[in-house]
Amino acid sequence: MTTDFLIYGIINTICVVLVSPLFVSLIKKVKAWTQGRQGPSVFQTYYTLAKLLKKEVIYSPNTSWIIRITPWICIAAILVASLFVPLVFVTDPSGGIGNIILFLYLLVLARFFMAVCGLDAGSAFGGMGSSREMSISAVIEPTTIIVFAALAFVFKSLNIFDMVSVAAAAGTAMTPTLILLGISLFIILIVETSRIPVDNPETHLELTMIHEGMILEMSGKNLALMELSAAIKQTLLMALLIDIIVPWGLATTLSFASVAVALCLFAAKGALLSLVIGLFESSMAKMRFFRLPSLFMMAFFFSTLVIIIEVFA
Amino acid sequence: MIGLLFYAVVALFLAGTVICLPGTTRDTRIIRTLSLACTAGASLLLAVLSLFILVTGVPVTPAAWQLFPGFSVEFFIDRLAAFFLFLIGSVSACVAVYTMGYVEHMEGGNRRNLLCGCISLFVLAMALIVASENTLSFLIFWELMAAVSFFLVMYEYTQGETGKAGIFYFVMTHLSTLFVMLGIVAFYYASGSFAIAPLHATPASLPLVTAAFLALFTGFSIKAGIIPFHKWLPYAHPASPSPVSALMSGVMLKVAVYGLIRFIITVFSPDLWWGVLILIAGISSAVLGVIYALKEHDIKGMLAYSSIENIGIVFVGIGLFVIFSCTGLMALATISLLAALFHSLNHALFKSLLFLTAGSVVHATQTRDIERMGGIGRKMPYTSVFFFTGAIAIAALPPLNGFASELLVYTAFFQSVALVDPLLKILLFLCLALFALTSALSAACFVKAFGSVFLAQPRSPESENAREVSFPMLAGPAILAAACIILGVFSYQILAAFGYVLPIPDLLLVSVLLLLMAALTYIILYFTASREVRISETWGCGAKSLPSSTEYTGHGFSEPIVTIFSSIYRTKKTCTKTYYDQHDCIFAEGTAEIRLLKVFEEYLYLPVARGTTRLAGMISRMQNGCLDTYLLYVFIAVIAVIFFLGWSA
Repeated sequence: MTTDFLIYGIINTICVVLVSPLFVSLIKKVKAWTQGRQGPSVFQTYYTLAKLLKKEVIYSPNTSWIIRITPWICIAAILVASLFVPLVFVTDPSGGIGNIILFLYLLVLARFFMAVCGLDAGSAFGGMGSSREMSISAVIEPTTIIVFAALAFVFKSLNIFDMVSVAAAAGTAMTPTLILLGISLFIILIVETSRIPVDNPETHLELTMIHEGMILEMSGKNLALMELSAAIKQTLLMALLIDIIVPWGLATTLSFASVAVALCLFAAKGALLSLVIGLFESSMAKMRFFRLPSLFMMAFFFSTLVIIIEVFA
Repeated sequence: MIGLLFYAVVALFLAGTVICLPGTTRDTRIIRTLSLACTAGASLLLAVLSLFILVTGVPVTPAAWQLFPGFSVEFFIDRLAAFFLFLIGSVSACVAVYTMGYVEHMEGGNRRNLLCGCISLFVLAMALIVASENTLSFLIFWELMAAVSFFLVMYEYTQGETGKAGIFYFVMTHLSTLFVMLGIVAFYYASGSFAIAPLHATPASLPLVTAAFLALFTGFSIKAGIIPFHKWLPYAHPASPSPVSALMSGVMLKVAVYGLIRFIITVFSPDLWWGVLILIAGISSAVLGVIYALKEHDIKGMLAYSSIENIGIVFVGIGLFVIFSCTGLMALATISLLAALFHSLNHALFKSLLFLTAGSVVHATQTRDIERMGGIGRKMPYTSVFFFTGAIAIAALPPLNGFASELLVYTAFFQSVALVDPLLKILLFLCLALFALTSALSAACFVKAFGSVFLAQPRSPESENAREVSFPMLAGPAILAAACIILGVFSYQILAAFGYVLPIPDLLLVSVLLLLMAALTYIILYFTASREVRISETWGCGAKSLPSSTEYTGHGFSEPIVTIFSSIYRTKKTCTKTYYDQHDCIFAEGTAEIRLLKVFEEYLYLPVARGTTRLAGMISRMQNGCLDTYLLYVFIAVIAVIFFLGWSA
């Protein structure tokens, strides 16, 4: 492990923690605008997290050790996963960090704990949330893995760092295949971050909820950790999309100026993507739960088609 | 030296069996403990011995043993056999420790002594199969394993369902022996020898070699529980005592895997289509196995279906190995074979862990239905932690061992772009998608299993009164759980130590990073966040305190997946209504029923069984008990022989 990698780790983690709540509030702001509302401030998520940290933690008497460790496991898994996606600065991979399969499974680790935690208190909402989350994740998984396999196929590497380095050297998306894969990645982003039409992140105590249902029993700093890890996960998937479709501006050497420029550019690109996500969400209606598999099948056929084209090309 | 030690192990196993024989008339605890101690000691010795062979890599040939003139039982332990002996030894030792506690809580009086003796013999039979040098002794010990395991399954023979399960198992296991025997006979005709040695197929003997492979593949598939020959697992596992389920699922299935790998590597030079066949058999077992596991609400039945899934994953690894080695990609072939072997070991560890802890839960609650459990996590904290470790491992989550082996499979799949044939490439990508589906569904399955068994509130008085089990019943699973963690975290280092430096991530680094991130977050929050904690009723939609009947059950949890995959489950919804009026407006009465079709049983097993019965009926008509008829048969036979000899001359 080189010093470069160590510095990369520190910069990347700090960036991702700082910038993630901003994107969450930005999407909310865009949705508020499209609904003709003023909406909360773009810094609202930071305020909410700070408020939650000051509150006490309440556990239901029915809960076990699961709910007590879940927030820590989730944040740790997501933070380690954040090391796999370069936000502003790309270096040489080290010790298998950046492996795209491991990246996916770190996200699965967080989700597994979250789903188990949803069942912990014995409330029907938590159970409903985790049941639906696991069903959706099972159906989207083939698509995700096919998209990742296609990425590995196009870039001839299993490592996100290598992919991003190649993409950053080219500046823009290299082939039309990548743009097609970008669309699949966007669908995965929507599904994984529990957004409309899959889930509605704004509702509590409604039968549509999935992600919110699982963390219903959380409070205080536990809830803050869960919210933060959800925000970071969203940023990671956004960053993956950005890194592959519009990688220009990414720092490949370690200097203060290039990293600062890259950070500004990343914030701008992320803000733009948040705008797209917000508009996409506003233009959609929530789908019925059992209509979702057909949406996923569409994404699956789409990405398989990409692979078939690539294989015969 | 090592050969002598091997015979010491055999003697110790036999001692474990013999000790129990006088105990069959008296119900004595000391005999059982002694016998199980023999099994545990012999297994441990076996594990150490095979680990030594694994590390040194020098094959060992224990002295041959003349059974009768012209045929001797010969043993040969190379690295592959040593690997499987290690698997058998390490898992059996933990199971034997667990059984010391478990057997004392069982019913059955002095029958329990026989159970202990049979366990020892069972493990011995499996070890001898793996160590066999020729096909005849392979077959003899294979049959011994089949017979002893049948007795083990039939332990609780007084219960009705056990009888059915036992007969089902007996038929299936002998079908397996039949196919293995056919394969060995065909192999003998092709090679002219009983030795398990490379077979050079000539164009003339090619059909025979192919037939031998197909027969052996079918035989091993039946024993390993590959769909559509899987039906015995969900019958036999719930019916048998938990340590026996752990041994059968954890170890016995791996013996079948060993057989397949041994014959493919040492004997045959496989064709590409063999690999495709094994791959497709594997991937369909994996997907269907986990889909059926999700629907199952008998905890041991669910684990049985999950075994089918994991054996499917092992077969996927073997299939990939054959495909890659036939297309000349040796590096990828090595990764695939390692994936198959590593997953065999991992599955042996976590599945026996899960079966043992499930056995503890079943013992504590007196039920196998997960809907009647719930809230056991607080009553049985250690068991719940061990089960959870097994669940994380089997759901393939980093950094545990299940993930380490699935990572190898994924790596092999992802790099299959190096293949030349585009059609093969697309086939592999489709299998990759199904493999991902399997992995995600198995995570869902074990969220459900752990959640409904251990979390929330007890849903029956029995689980209300569940209590933690005794020390041996914790010690066995504890070792297995530790092994699951170690084999996962240090997977990269272990493989490197055996000379396989592979392009896979270092899970040790990942685990250190996970701990580091958690510690960092903890420290930061320790100083910035509130540290107050309150135990209080959380919001329950206004109800003061919700009863356990409002909880989400296992049925509820799997309902969305069952609905999404309803075409695979073949659920049949029938709804009949009658109305008072002609326009079908005023509803009078009606019935609705949702029934799960047992597809394989109704469309495959039963027709075959009916056909066999009909055939047997026709043949039995020849036996009328009249002497004259039999004389006629003899006469006809003699005439036929004369004609046949004349014809061929």
